[in-house]
Amino acid sequence: MTADRVRDRPDREDPILQVRNLRTVFYTDRETIRAADGVSADIYPGETLGVVGESGSGKSVTARSIMRLIDSPGQILAGSSIRYRQTETVRAYADSFSGHTAELSDVAHEVDKSAAFDQIDRTPQHFGHERPEDVPVADLVGGGYGPELGLCDEGDFVFVTDGEATRPGQIQRGFVEITALEGEAKRLMRGGRIAMIFQDPLSSLNPVFTIGNQIKESLNLHRDMRGSEATREAADLLEAVGIPDSRRRLKEYPHQFSGGMRQRAVIAMALACDPDVLICDEPTTALDVTIEAQILDLFTQLQAERDLAILFITHDMGVIANVADRVNVMYAGEMVERADVDQLFEHPRHPYTQGLLESIPGAQSGDSLSTIEGTVPTPNEPPTSCRFADRCPKAFEACREVHPVSVPANEQNDDHTAACLLYPENMSEQEAAMMHDQRNPPREESDTS
Amino acid sequence: MGRWRYFLQRVLLSIPVLFLVITFLFVVLRLGPVDPVAARLGPQASGADVAAVEERLGLNDPLWEQYIRFASDLLQFEGQSWVVQADRGIPAVLADTAPPTLWLGFWAILLPLFIGLPLGFYAGLNPNSSRDYISSGLGILWLAMPNFWLASMLAAFLASTASGGPLGFEWHTFGPNIQSVQGTPSLNFVTLSSIGPVPFPTGLDLGGFARDTKKILPPAIVLGSASMAAEQRIGRTAVLENINSKYVETAKAKGVKGRKIITKHVFRNALIPLIPVITNEAFLLIGGSVIVEELFTINGLGRTFFQSIIQGDLPLAGSLLFVFTLLLIVLNIFQDLLYTIIDPRVGYDQ
Repeated sequence: MTADRVRDRPDREDPILQVRNLRTVFYTDRETIRAADGVSADIYPGETLGVVGESGSGKSVTARSIMRLIDSPGQILAGSSIRYRQTETVRAYADSFSGHTAELSDVAHEVDKSAAFDQIDRTPQHFGHERPEDVPVADLVGGGYGPELGLCDEGDFVFVTDGEATRPGQIQRGFVEITALEGEAKRLMRGGRIAMIFQDPLSSLNPVFTIGNQIKESLNLHRDMRGSEATREAADLLEAVGIPDSRRRLKEYPHQFSGGMRQRAVIAMALACDPDVLICDEPTTALDVTIEAQILDLFTQLQAERDLAILFITHDMGVIANVADRVNVMYAGEMVERADVDQLFEHPRHPYTQGLLESIPGAQSGDSLSTIEGTVPTPNEPPTSCRFADRCPKAFEACREVHPVSVPANEQNDDHTAACLLYPENMSEQEAAMMHDQRNPPREESDTS
Repeated sequence: MGRWRYFLQRVLLSIPVLFLVITFLFVVLRLGPVDPVAARLGPQASGADVAAVEERLGLNDPLWEQYIRFASDLLQFEGQSWVVQADRGIPAVLADTAPPTLWLGFWAILLPLFIGLPLGFYAGLNPNSSRDYISSGLGILWLAMPNFWLASMLAAFLASTASGGPLGFEWHTFGPNIQSVQGTPSLNFVTLSSIGPVPFPTGLDLGGFARDTKKILPPAIVLGSASMAAEQRIGRTAVLENINSKYVETAKAKGVKGRKIITKHVFRNALIPLIPVITNEAFLLIGGSVIVEELFTINGLGRTFFQSIIQGDLPLAGSLLFVFTLLLIVLNIFQDLLYTIIDPRVGYDQ
């Protein structure tokens, strides 16, 4: 679980899951809550990406958006792209859903992006870039602008970037656009490719069915196992997550399990689908510290055994330090800092991250625990300033006028970014403010469509 | 297994309850202002006749002897009616009056179950849609109409269509012909034979079945109206509660098909709060049948009970109450059985 492992990995270049410009909003009678507001993240095979932030920062909404579990009145806006890039999956999807497969291999190079942005009602800044040519075609197509630009048909969700759509077995690269999935294609992605573990293990299990029944349901759905074969596999899974006497335990109901056991059973249920990506939404929050440590060890062990990519959501910095390879810090719907776990803990750049680290009991000096004053504001307007400015000890005038974007924040490490006007460090405050301002979408335009 | 042990416990517990009920019935009936002799002979009866009848009915025996006779008659379903159907054996009276009530109760439970419950589930699956509002609005309307009022209005309306109602609708000739809105269904559509003591049906007269069903539908709708509304409302809430629950989200997250989430995960959990509602309504039907049977002049248990109690027919009233009690106890056990089957948490203590 060290940063070295991450850097040594050969497929570092190729994330299995890419989130770009994710905007998930909830429409209520009074306001529109922008719960995830331009979130971007990469998850690499076999690594753990920690997402940390206070309650209400949009962590869970991001996770649920990836699972497509956002129901009305929530909505993932156009321009958001969640790409599942595992080649094997792209091949399987291109095979099963050939009618929804588009080939981008050739057209991608020929797109005139300046012309493209004239056609659509967006600016490069909406995609987090300053110039049209910097915006990747995948962001445009994944964001749902493919049909408008003539790159694909309406309803396409499998995109081949290297290979031929007509020969699924030969596809080298491509992605499945999760935000465009519907029906059976969406169902197969859930559980089968990306599984999710929720916070409260008791309410995650249906009280009227046995543990075995619920694990076997997953086996049946994604691995087509039935009868005694499924029972055997379910017992093996329970053993794998550390539940002894698994044969008997399969016949028991959730209420007969203790808290830690339940979470193990939920993990077994998620693993039963044989996913490549596991999203854990505060999986240990409902457990006591001893059990928490055991469950975290279990994740580490399972990850090594199955080469799982894990998206680990928590508000607990201690847990993050324990499990994550890289960390994204979320605040009010935005990723405000991202870095390797060691970098983040040793050299936090964003004042918010610094505040979070100072609020860990035992880590600070002085008599009283230092905290971040106030609470997370509800992001109900397009950002026109830094959303942390009101609580930030380092805020200056420009912070209330310019919305910061992610910029490199550490000269030694390109992967370390922060969305704060204090960075890049080699610029003066004014220069930085201007630079950040230019990379924001034009103000007057409403971007709630 | 804890669940079945719990169930057995519940069954055994009903035995002392039965004895308590018998004692209570005896006390209440004897304490009441009843005068079976006057009811039978008329207020002008002379002293000698009164004494003779009193002697014959055993009213002069010591109270404890009367109690024992009362209890043993109840338990063996013996004894004779004093007044309402004077000197007839109680089993014969029950055999005459129970079938119409059971027929009425059957439809009064069936209708809400197959109208109220689906409407409620449907409303719960489409919350806050216009379909939900219509379904819930109808539910509240049904709930708001008291049985006695609805029964009178319905009977009066249906009877008024005899000479051509609105839009040419005439209840008597609509479908199978019937003579009157009121009256007892004949219930002879099944031909029974028997091998030894066991009767079994050998024939079914569909015309008679249709007539009897048509005859019982108006009172059954009245009797079931409150249940229908309650089942609609609780069904809706139960579905809504479960559909927004964490385990449904988990099921979605593991890729369970939409329809299976509803049929497997939501419905079974939604049934748990509905079990007591449904069985409790069966209790209400017994009380309600007294009013509805009286208004629709159906010679069933309810109407006979009403007459026996106002005329001081102690053995008959006692026996009928005892039958009602037995029904309640059986329904309670049935409810526990359903609970035990559907909810694995029943009878489990930490």
